[in-house]
Amino acid sequence: MVDRAMTERATAGRALSPIALWGLLAAVAALLFAWRISTQWPTAPAGDIDLDRIILFYSTLPRAVVAVLAGAVLGLSGLLLQRVLRNPLAEPSTLGISSGAQLAMTAASVYAPFLMERSQGTVAFAGGTAAVLLVLSLTWRRGLEPVSVVLAGMMVALTASAISAALILANGDYLFSLFIWGGGSLVQQDWGPPIALSTRLAVGAGAALLLLRPLTILGLDDASARSLGIARHTSRFLVIALAVWMATTVVAEVGVIGFVGLAAPALATLSGARSLGQKLLAAPLIGAILLWLTDGLVQLAAGAGGERIPTGAGAALLGGPVLLWLLPTLRLLEWPNLGTSGTSPRKAGRFIILLLLLLTLVAAVVALIVGRGPAGWSVAGGEMLADLAAWRAPRIGVAAAAGAMLAVAGVVIQRITGNPLASPEVLGVGTGAGAGLTAVLMVSATAGLDWQLAGSVFGSLAVLIAMLTIAARAKFGSERLLLAGIAMSALCSAVITATIAMGNSQSYVLLRWLSGSTSQATGADAWVALACLMLLTLPLFLAARWLDILPLGEDTARGLGLPIAGGRLTLIVLAAILTALAAMFVGPLSFVGLIAPHLARPIGFARARLHLAGAVLVGALLMIVSDWLSRMVAFPYELPVGLFASLLGGPYLVHLLAKGVPRHG
Amino acid sequence: MIHLLPSRRRVLALGMAAMLPPIAAKAAPLRVAAIDWGMLETLIALGIAPVAATELIQFRKLAVEPEVPRSVTDLGLRGTPNYELLRIVAPDLVAISSFYEYQRPMLERIAPVFAQTVYAPGVPPYPLAEAATLALGEKLGRQAEAKRYVDETSVEITRLRATLPADSGRPVFVISLGDSRHFRAFGRDSMFGDVLRRLGVENAWADETSYSAAAPVGLEALARVPDASILVVSPLPADVGRALPENALWNALPAVRNSRVALLEPINHFGCLPSARRFARLATAALAGQTHG
Repeated sequence: MVDRAMTERATAGRALSPIALWGLLAAVAALLFAWRISTQWPTAPAGDIDLDRIILFYSTLPRAVVAVLAGAVLGLSGLLLQRVLRNPLAEPSTLGISSGAQLAMTAASVYAPFLMERSQGTVAFAGGTAAVLLVLSLTWRRGLEPVSVVLAGMMVALTASAISAALILANGDYLFSLFIWGGGSLVQQDWGPPIALSTRLAVGAGAALLLLRPLTILGLDDASARSLGIARHTSRFLVIALAVWMATTVVAEVGVIGFVGLAAPALATLSGARSLGQKLLAAPLIGAILLWLTDGLVQLAAGAGGERIPTGAGAALLGGPVLLWLLPTLRLLEWPNLGTSGTSPRKAGRFIILLLLLLTLVAAVVALIVGRGPAGWSVAGGEMLADLAAWRAPRIGVAAAAGAMLAVAGVVIQRITGNPLASPEVLGVGTGAGAGLTAVLMVSATAGLDWQLAGSVFGSLAVLIAMLTIAARAKFGSERLLLAGIAMSALCSAVITATIAMGNSQSYVLLRWLSGSTSQATGADAWVALACLMLLTLPLFLAARWLDILPLGEDTARGLGLPIAGGRLTLIVLAAILTALAAMFVGPLSFVGLIAPHLARPIGFARARLHLAGAVLVGALLMIVSDWLSRMVAFPYELPVGLFASLLGGPYLVHLLAKGVPRHG
Repeated sequence: MIHLLPSRRRVLALGMAAMLPPIAAKAAPLRVAAIDWGMLETLIALGIAPVAATELIQFRKLAVEPEVPRSVTDLGLRGTPNYELLRIVAPDLVAISSFYEYQRPMLERIAPVFAQTVYAPGVPPYPLAEAATLALGEKLGRQAEAKRYVDETSVEITRLRATLPADSGRPVFVISLGDSRHFRAFGRDSMFGDVLRRLGVENAWADETSYSAAAPVGLEALARVPDASILVVSPLPADVGRALPENALWNALPAVRNSRVALLEPINHFGCLPSARRFARLATAALAGQTHG
């Protein structure tokens, strides 16, 4: 039923029709599966211990079934969420559902193991539901506008995973668990998970068919839905609960498999599925093919000592490029942009900047003199301060510089793209730096710091240019850029995860980089970081006119006689270097680059210079306080600095959103 | 804030004296801090209580023995030890292993660093652990104790080997469980694998050790050696109690069907000789209890 619409829309210039493409991919997956079975087919006559038969029946077969079912469940869940929230970016990962489920399971394992023993699925469902309810209630007043929902979702997801990581870190064998849950492994030894997943899929598909009419109407805007007499909220919540139930089952049974829920519905649309009925068929099918094929390839690449890549990461490795390639043809519902919030008058802006400067200095001083020791809290002074400062000052300096660099990169990227959600982290520029670092380490495990830095800069630059090319081809649609960013981020993370999974000396370098800590900062590091910040940020203050004008659009900029191409390229290169440098110092997981520019918006969005100054100070302040808290909260245990950056900045950012700042077209 | 930086190497001054233990007299033994758990257990085995060590909460749970005296200061995580606290403790020597080489520049600002390599991919660690013990004894003026401990451990393993029936002939898997579906195997380049060989038991895992940063292995890999016994090193993750008894493949493994699976108390995975001894003792007891199988 799908083929006609698909062939009609088969994109111009591409010989392969989407149906044929997916058919081919499914055939490859089936071939891989057949090959796998043929190598395991029991050769011995049936005896009483026939392990070949056991492996085939309890491991190989259920694993393939789980791959197909989990892919389909995620595809369907993603489609339902996207439909009901009218949000092309909604899916279990971006809404925080997977991370919420994971956090609930981690917390239960640590504090209430009996819950995990009784029912893992219920724990996961409770966590996922809590996360999605939080996201929805935070963005309710903005009418669940997609960009706000995804922003809130990302903050919830980020905070939840940071807390999970801290819990695991403080309670045992973190790497092992992190790997299984974070990567999503499809290894099976039983028919329990396939049965659980198939009931979810059956119930989900049945309910979706029953709700076909309400769903179609919910895809329209509120006014039309109301006039058609649908009990909007009731059906909305029913569908959301259904989607959460399906997605959290996957988390409970096989771990977090991101990306499929996002990619499958998008790829279904890109393959020409137009009506809801077509999509309901195509999205689960594509999800299933994607995961089945990935799992086949992952098993093909596996050595005797285990799999090299968890299937969840593999799905991003495979689906990421496909999504990026097809993205420019995706037509999305356009929403009004997130408002550029009200600007305070120039004088007030200056006053706030002074206040922020004061706060940052106070924070730095407090971080320098207040600390915990074996005898409890203490305020250092005199000789003792001089001694402790040798340890504390470099960390404060590095944290402040890195926070400021990320903030500046965020301001630049948000202004170039005119997109309030764009940031080094969201667009994958930070993880791109990691991919570049990985490439350098693969060439030479003993590469020095200069080469590592060069690799990081190259990686982040490559990602940023790719992102902006996609955005330019698609005329800067907000959602499209973010979709590309999530795909790129997932792709780069998969490269890093796969390298870490090799378990060699490079893995440890990457793991340390990924966990991001100012712990090893030396005085020299701090001076270098601060010097780089000065060197890279000062030109931006001088070029503030470019930053003022670029968000107004190309035509205005050209009309004002700005050298668009050159100016833009310079800014992009600066942002990439800033991101890579910051990531070298504090890792890629801080989200300060997203938060700081937002928090600085009310100060002076209209004037780039004030916005920049505000963001620099907010970024530095956030990181100084986060670094201090990371050292104090669980003393003497040091927690990840990124955790506190998101715990501090996240709620405030979400509060800004929830306040329902007035929109300007 | 940054102008205070040049005071980096400033020696302990009067102002801090209140917070610090008195400076040791010349004849007193060296005050040692251990970043590496293997070094921590070796220090205690040599009769030296370290002044500080890392992740003691986990150590008491996961390594269990030797018992760490309450006087030892907990420095926090192994990967990011609290340097400030270590500075206040002011040890005379910091013992690390090659895993923590990257911390050397920071640690050397506090005290001289003593580093030994015990674990390297593809290399059986037991001889390296013996060498590390002797080197540590040498460094701390405890040569006799170190020599005695190395010899005692070797004698102990030989004695335990004799308690195992010579003809059992079954290979043994030594694993730890990541969840109810995945395990980590200990190969010949792990301490458990090396001790297993010294006990005269064949290791059923022929590949190298899959360490924590490596991808975990699915349980079906255990079916590759049908007649093997399985030793599971504790602790077990939370979901295992519920899910493992329902795991069809696990239940179908000959070792499970014929009760040739034993759960060992927790043992430090990356330990030195004390861990080797603990493993030898626990493994022998478990294997002796099931040789009829």
